[in-house]
Amino acid sequence: MQYLPQLIASGISIGMIYAVVAFGYQLTFATSKTLNFGQGEALALGGLTGWSVTTWLIAHGIGVGVAYLLMIPIVLIFGMLQGAVVERLGVRQAIKTKSEAGWIMATIALGIIFKNLAENIWGRDALKFPSPLPEAALTFGSVRIQPMEIAIVIGALAMMLAVELFNRRSIFGKAVVATANDRDAAGLMGINTGLVIAFSYALSSMAAAFAGVLVAPITTAGVSSAAVLGLKAFAVAIIGGLSSGLGVIVGGLILGITETMTGYFISTGYKDVPGLVLLLLVLSFKPSGLFGKATIKKV
Amino acid sequence: MTLSKLSLILIASSFLTSAYAADPIKVGLSGPFTGGSSSMGVSMRDGVKLAVTEINKAGGVLGREIQLVERDDEAKNEVGVQVAQELISKEGVVATLGYVNTGVALGSQRFYQEAEIPVINNVATGSVVTKQFLGGDFKNNYVFRNSANDTIQSAMIASEAVTKQGFKKPAILADSTNYGKLGTTDLTAALTKLNITPVATEKFNIGDTDMTAQVLRAKEAGADVILTYALGPELAQVANAMAKLGWKVPVIGSWALSMASFIDTAGPNGDGAMMPETFIQVPSTPKRKAFIEAYQSTYKIDRMPSPVSAAQGYDSVYLLAAAIKQAGSTDGPKIREALENLNDKIEGVVTTYDHPFSAADHEAISANIPVFGVVKGGRVVPMHPEDLEGANALRVKPKG
Repeated sequence: MQYLPQLIASGISIGMIYAVVAFGYQLTFATSKTLNFGQGEALALGGLTGWSVTTWLIAHGIGVGVAYLLMIPIVLIFGMLQGAVVERLGVRQAIKTKSEAGWIMATIALGIIFKNLAENIWGRDALKFPSPLPEAALTFGSVRIQPMEIAIVIGALAMMLAVELFNRRSIFGKAVVATANDRDAAGLMGINTGLVIAFSYALSSMAAAFAGVLVAPITTAGVSSAAVLGLKAFAVAIIGGLSSGLGVIVGGLILGITETMTGYFISTGYKDVPGLVLLLLVLSFKPSGLFGKATIKKV
Repeated sequence: MTLSKLSLILIASSFLTSAYAADPIKVGLSGPFTGGSSSMGVSMRDGVKLAVTEINKAGGVLGREIQLVERDDEAKNEVGVQVAQELISKEGVVATLGYVNTGVALGSQRFYQEAEIPVINNVATGSVVTKQFLGGDFKNNYVFRNSANDTIQSAMIASEAVTKQGFKKPAILADSTNYGKLGTTDLTAALTKLNITPVATEKFNIGDTDMTAQVLRAKEAGADVILTYALGPELAQVANAMAKLGWKVPVIGSWALSMASFIDTAGPNGDGAMMPETFIQVPSTPKRKAFIEAYQSTYKIDRMPSPVSAAQGYDSVYLLAAAIKQAGSTDGPKIREALENLNDKIEGVVTTYDHPFSAADHEAISANIPVFGVVKGGRVVPMHPEDLEGANALRVKPKG
């Protein structure tokens, strides 16, 4: 039991990454009722782009910490562009024709294309990402945490908060909220809902790309882990509910902590099982997620 | 068909055969040149190419050049199978070198066995690799190896940890692939022989990045040493998790601890990791010195990504060339026979091969050949320098 706080701390930092990616799922679901199944790949692409920019800056004599900070806005813009491409090529047509499943196949296909692209540009080896913070662990009582793990939690929360504030305060954010509430009515009120949906895809990939550069200093950058992360984040979005911001944070923490706990208390061979069992339970008893609002779909 | 036409065809075909005699000897090369085990695959390929260039410069074999047909098997079993079929049917190779991944070797070798074309495994270490077609219904075995198999490595790991360094409570950390599973079995068996039971046996998946639970379990079980059977990227995460948790016990494991992906990703956290090596980048014999210098100048690098793979790749070419020369033919069964009865002593980088194979024994590397290496400042250096000094430097497989 003495390691309980340590296990929870490690679970929190993994869980927050799941939460950011799951948050990305939410953004597009809110406006268009569609999801980008290439979220894992968007995360990997963000990490790899960040790696290229950071190493390039370091090679030009800029310190690691400054290079990392300078890299972030570039990666955010890259993520937005990548998301816009996904929306344009994979989703817009499906929404226009009211296709039920077209966007599922299209976003998965685009994810695979992005993965292959990344493999050709950066190779399939995981790349060591220079850490902007010291790698030595800090000690809090019996818990030891790497500074970067704390940065992950703070960074993830800050980004989700920033997007929420933007949606609530700015005029453009209000258009997003309006579209999320009722797309047809928003359209009648003169809101360009197509643009809003494209924007939500850009934001969603931006969140994933940001998550990519947050985790990379700890986990290395590479496409090999993209699919697994994307899937786990999807589980988090389902557990927490696709319409609740608080839901993904709680869902992410639940999944992250269950994983480390199971690994320690049951067996490291079955680490991933309880999270998926939880997913099945939620789907059976509360399909809209722990925090989600039940919706009735009229056909 | 008139007689004159027939004779024309005969003359033409005789020209074709004479032209064919000077054709190069095609040798297949299959390995992962991209992906997680690519540092081993690429080093192996570069070692092989170095040897082939040398042999061709000296006039080739049987007066013919050796031509390599390289294929990337991506460490995937199904790709390996495709490559094997292509090399055999389309390219018509006389033998194939390579295989880094035990699973790929096991999946692909049956095609060579059926076609009676020899395979020399120069990196894959799974104990079963050379035993797949041994005895039973198989009259002859076409699979050879010149790397240190897992039975040898696990016994060395166990005896280094328990007998030499006196640890009594080892914990095994292995990945959940075939490599890790078979290695765990071999390690547990080797420990049992020394009357030791591991205090913990923990698993992780390829691509796992958080090893907190595994490391904590080993720590809680009171382990005084960590024994590993996994690949570079995950081993680096184990080393990083140990550093994060502030737990310092020695790490001893299979030779994957010498992978560049472990050393580079773990950085200072990987220092002190120990592993059995058939070759360490140290010029302890004239042959090794020449090899290291040739490799460095050809590929313009200082540190070989995987010295073991490079050296074994290089040696495998010389073993094959000697066999073709002795057989006087590129006929598969004749090459196999020659490999099993090699008369010439072959001075290689890893060892001097004096009758390395026999009909019953297809393993060129014996337990006395590998020595322990240790990671120090981003490189692998000999752990017991006396292992590679004076008469100890050249370790030869005992006769028998």
